[in-house]
Amino acid sequence: MTMIRRCVFASMAALMLPMVATAAVDGEKIIQQRCAYCHDMKGPAPQTIRQLWKRDAPDLFYAGNKYRREWLVEWMQKPVRVRPAGVNYLRAINSTPVTLKKTKKGRKYDILWGKYLKPLQHEILTKAEAEAVADVLMSLKPHYDLIASEHFDPSKKVTLDQGEIYIDKVYGCESCHQIEPGYGGYTGSELYTAGKRLQPEFMLSYIRRPKNWDPKIWMPNMHVKEEDLQKIVNYLILLSKEDFHAN
Amino acid sequence: MRIKMMIIAAATMFMAAPLLHAEEAYLNYKTYCMQCHGMHGKGNGVNVPAMNILPRDHSDNAYMMKRTNTEIFKVIKYGGPALNKSVKMPPWGDTFTDHEITELVGHIRSLCCEKELIRGVNFR
Repeated sequence: MTMIRRCVFASMAALMLPMVATAAVDGEKIIQQRCAYCHDMKGPAPQTIRQLWKRDAPDLFYAGNKYRREWLVEWMQKPVRVRPAGVNYLRAINSTPVTLKKTKKGRKYDILWGKYLKPLQHEILTKAEAEAVADVLMSLKPHYDLIASEHFDPSKKVTLDQGEIYIDKVYGCESCHQIEPGYGGYTGSELYTAGKRLQPEFMLSYIRRPKNWDPKIWMPNMHVKEEDLQKIVNYLILLSKEDFHAN
Repeated sequence: MRIKMMIIAAATMFMAAPLLHAEEAYLNYKTYCMQCHGMHGKGNGVNVPAMNILPRDHSDNAYMMKRTNTEIFKVIKYGGPALNKSVKMPPWGDTFTDHEITELVGHIRSLCCEKELIRGVNFR
């Protein structure tokens, strides 16, 4: 008798479980249906230049090592462009059209064109969906070893001006990255939101050697000194607290 | 007949090998250098308007002829400061192997000094 009762209970539980799961938002399912066709969720990162060019969106297979959860939740509800020239800048640039007048000193520059001049087209999630997806993304931590060896030191404080000197004059990051909207290069991700977006340990590790995370990426290893590295990350966190849309 | 075929095969192999290398160098140039040095290597890349120092125009024959291959190799591998140039030229030593840098130097020579290459100038 007890055996039959157990079987009945077990079969009922088996029937009920999927219902419970579907009642709540399933982050894994959303990722498979709406994210995975552009984002790489499995890894590894592109190993050749040709693979690199096929990338449509940032790799998310190490999202848990990289992003801050609160930013992810906020961003997925209101997606905006993080890299002015997109993930794959070769698709975003074009030679200056002949019709365009020459700029100062008679020089013409390559320009961004097409969809990269318009706001980002991206899936928009509801708050519940964003929370569920963020939970799944934050559990993806394949590069734990790289993060574990980094120690962020918040005591190495710098002012905004000092930080800008590191970014502009000492290491020249500003050639590719913007430190405020419209101020800096296009091919890198914007730095004025980096402190909000990324975990400090990730920033330390990525700046130290970008190749460890993305073997073929066009960010060079600048051989940044340990002390400067801490200062730069402190600066990026300080910079992200500025309000650039105040005016 | 067979000997003829072998000769043709050998000839195509000899011709194809440098072409393949040239393609790899071009891909590297396109991926890493183009963002600043421009789509046609004229020093007018998409990032340039934000810079206070302009990248080198690789098609500038008069300037590039004054530079040796060793200097170009050095500046790619160790960055601008290695030749008392700007930090805006980063060190690419961690991105490329020495062999890839040598090929890149060859590619840059093809942008600036095609006539000299045909004439067989020794760039050292």
